[in-house]
Amino acid sequence: MISKSKKLVYVSEDLINEAIEVARRDGKSLGAFVEESLKLALSARRTGYNPKEASDLLKVIRVNRTLGGAYIPMDILNHLFKAAYKNKPKKIGEKWYESGMLHGKYLKEKFEDPIQAFKTFLEVARWDLNEVEVQKDGDTIKFRCFSTILTEEGTDMLLKYVEGVFHGIGYKTIRNDHMKGMIILEFKH
Amino acid sequence: MTLKAIKRKTLFAREDLVNRLLSIAKEQGRSLYGLVNEIFELVIRAEDQGVNLQKAFEERWILKKARKDGFILVPEGLWYEMAEIAYQNSKDKALKRWFETGVWLAKRYMEVESEEPLEAFKRSLKAYSWNIAEMVIEEENEKISIRIISPRMPETYANLYSTFIEGALNTFGYKIAKKEVSFGNIRIEAVGKEN
Repeated sequence: MISKSKKLVYVSEDLINEAIEVARRDGKSLGAFVEESLKLALSARRTGYNPKEASDLLKVIRVNRTLGGAYIPMDILNHLFKAAYKNKPKKIGEKWYESGMLHGKYLKEKFEDPIQAFKTFLEVARWDLNEVEVQKDGDTIKFRCFSTILTEEGTDMLLKYVEGVFHGIGYKTIRNDHMKGMIILEFKH
Repeated sequence: MTLKAIKRKTLFAREDLVNRLLSIAKEQGRSLYGLVNEIFELVIRAEDQGVNLQKAFEERWILKKARKDGFILVPEGLWYEMAEIAYQNSKDKALKRWFETGVWLAKRYMEVESEEPLEAFKRSLKAYSWNIAEMVIEEENEKISIRIISPRMPETYANLYSTFIEGALNTFGYKIAKKEVSFGNIRIEAVGKEN
């Protein structure tokens, strides 16, 4: 049974003032905002995330929607890759790169750590990738991803997209190594 | 160095929620004040960026379900473009592939969702179609009618997508009675095969 009794909690005054503003914008009471926020944090914890990780993950999901991400059956996507690649590989490659650039620029605007946000996006949205790794070393970034089911065409398009994202964030490619189901890239700021 | 004192205020919150947060804070060796502030800060910052975390959380199931159904998240514009090329290059092959995918998905729902597989399929189809402006699926007396309006959807893609739905409906035991497809518009009416 849900307890109806209330307890007092301390919160910084600045945050309360901001919360009042957000609640007002959303047309709800401060009490409702507080309850929803706390419930959200507890629900996120049940899924194994701390509040920060959960917030980033959820933002990535929403951002994707804003950027026109849509669901498509994997089998169909592979078919489309094959057909498009066979006929207009250059044009399609450019489109994936441009789309990546747009995403990169947007992530840079929206996230404190756009690279981490991009990694989170790939991990949650591209389940066809078995492993996504991003290592930062000073102003250099090493990106690696592996997949046992990604086709040759799919690998090539994903490579273009990833490069586009990093270029959009403000990096330049210094190493590009790839083969079916494997992408290894290095970027420098 | 001078530290600026942070003014604190109190507010009321549901006791059961506070108690649970208290035990989390204890587990993590931090104060309840710090944890609650962190939560509010994250929610407020997300709102400032135009992201409602509550809504996003509610949509989280879609990602999980999409993974099980073999759907992947790709920028919409890109697959419209690729679908166009695939369709122009080999129309029959493309249509066949979309039809078969519809059959596969419907079969999966019939196998996995023991109760009302068609309902579950409809729910998922709507959830995966967040890029579609309007999708109405109505069912009455062994008749199903589907109306899709999406101003960005090219005719080629509308053709492919309608074939995918056809494959699924066929597998669920319906035959197509009427089909109308044009730029940004799909209308399908299907009746139970036994009718």
